[in-house]
Amino acid sequence: MKTQGFDYLKKITAVDYSTYLEVVYIIYNTRERKEEILKVKLPSANPVVETVMGIYKAADWYEREMQEMFGIMIKGRNAKRLLLEEWNGADHPLRKSFVWGKDYQKVQ
Amino acid sequence: MSIMRINVGPIHPSTHGVLRMVVDVDGDTIENVEPHIGFLHRGVEKLCETRMYMQNPSYFEKLDYISPMSWGDLYIGAVEQAVGIECKEAAQYARVVLIELQRIANHLLWIGTLCNDIGQLFTTFMWCFRDRAKVLKILEDVAGQRMFYVNMRVGGLNRPLPADFKDRTYELCDYLLTSVAEYEKVMDHNEIFKERLKGVGVLSSEDAIAYGVTGPVLRASGIEEDVRKSMPYYIYDKISFSLPFKSEGDCYARYRVRYEEIFQSIRIIRQVLDMMPEGDVVGQPIKLINPPAKPDTVVARRELPKGEGLIYMVPDKQKPYRLSIRAPGFVNLAVLPKLCKGEKFADLFAIFGSLDVIFGETDR
Repeated sequence: MKTQGFDYLKKITAVDYSTYLEVVYIIYNTRERKEEILKVKLPSANPVVETVMGIYKAADWYEREMQEMFGIMIKGRNAKRLLLEEWNGADHPLRKSFVWGKDYQKVQ
Repeated sequence: MSIMRINVGPIHPSTHGVLRMVVDVDGDTIENVEPHIGFLHRGVEKLCETRMYMQNPSYFEKLDYISPMSWGDLYIGAVEQAVGIECKEAAQYARVVLIELQRIANHLLWIGTLCNDIGQLFTTFMWCFRDRAKVLKILEDVAGQRMFYVNMRVGGLNRPLPADFKDRTYELCDYLLTSVAEYEKVMDHNEIFKERLKGVGVLSSEDAIAYGVTGPVLRASGIEEDVRKSMPYYIYDKISFSLPFKSEGDCYARYRVRYEEIFQSIRIIRQVLDMMPEGDVVGQPIKLINPPAKPDTVVARRELPKGEGLIYMVPDKQKPYRLSIRAPGFVNLAVLPKLCKGEKFADLFAIFGSLDVIFGETDR
């Protein structure tokens, strides 16, 4: 996509549809002012996605955040620490299996 | 000389929020900076999934407590797309005036705190707060609150505009034009101010795109990019205004871009007030929102004072199923290690201040 002029990464995020996960890339062409949304489907158990750090340097924090919040492993990256300070790293709060109010106590 | 590791913080630098940085220095030169964020993490994205659409706006206003009106507008924009309701015409004009006033207030506070950070002490800070208070007074009279307005409703605003709104806003614009122009005397004509900012923290236009910075930081690196121009919303395509941009990419360019944006905002406000039609601006009451059809996904974008804000939402019947926020502070802070490499330790806070980061939206 980068060869087609999509040189700007706006956002990487993920959605948990219970049965599967979806990773969303929002990229942008700064010359022609066009936006494109790419979606990748992943299985719920042991999801792995390839890093895009080689193409977009902006992906750094988004990928770390995604690993932390969804438990999606990023292939090709070995981040020393994830994003948020003092997060335990074992729970993935934005998964639907993490119940608001109940699992929160556990994390504390 | 060997490399020394210094822990900076957790502190509360210029704009509000708490940040900790681990800085590797070689003598006085910065080798690497690693920002540690998360002290203000509230789990806003998860929280939104548990609440109904109109229970959420106040969380969004607290993402960026310097410019709450703009975030409220972005969130309501996303909800309007999800439920398929257009904003009333008169309300569109009113919203543009309000978010541009908010942009002025944001930039005024930023200029004040930047001067504070680089040691110019309180003169400019006080001037900026004096003028910002006048802007906030108008917003307060519109919304009934000084800081967290929660004034946007689906289809319009919370309540009608005050009768003297137009006159007072015209008056405020006249006042700001002369008063903000005076700032130049203490900043642009001040050698120390220029020395502290010029050539410090340079970001080239290639790097600006690669690291995905946004808003005034991107425009200070020579990229003319603004959602108001590239994907116009409301009535921005009917208004003539220009995007201030600079090619130097240093802290001084970032200051100039924001400073000139204040004047562009005044220009926009005056035009919109001239064109503003009479009519009802009040939106739907909170309880009447019942989304009929649900689209698969909703993407809403707005040019917030700090950069491009984006909401990616998967709507459900009464609540968002998943809501993801692209916060300009988050992307701009991620470039800090790149900017600081090779700079002096004393410039760390000048560079950090020039990014206009706020931690409510960075940590979420």
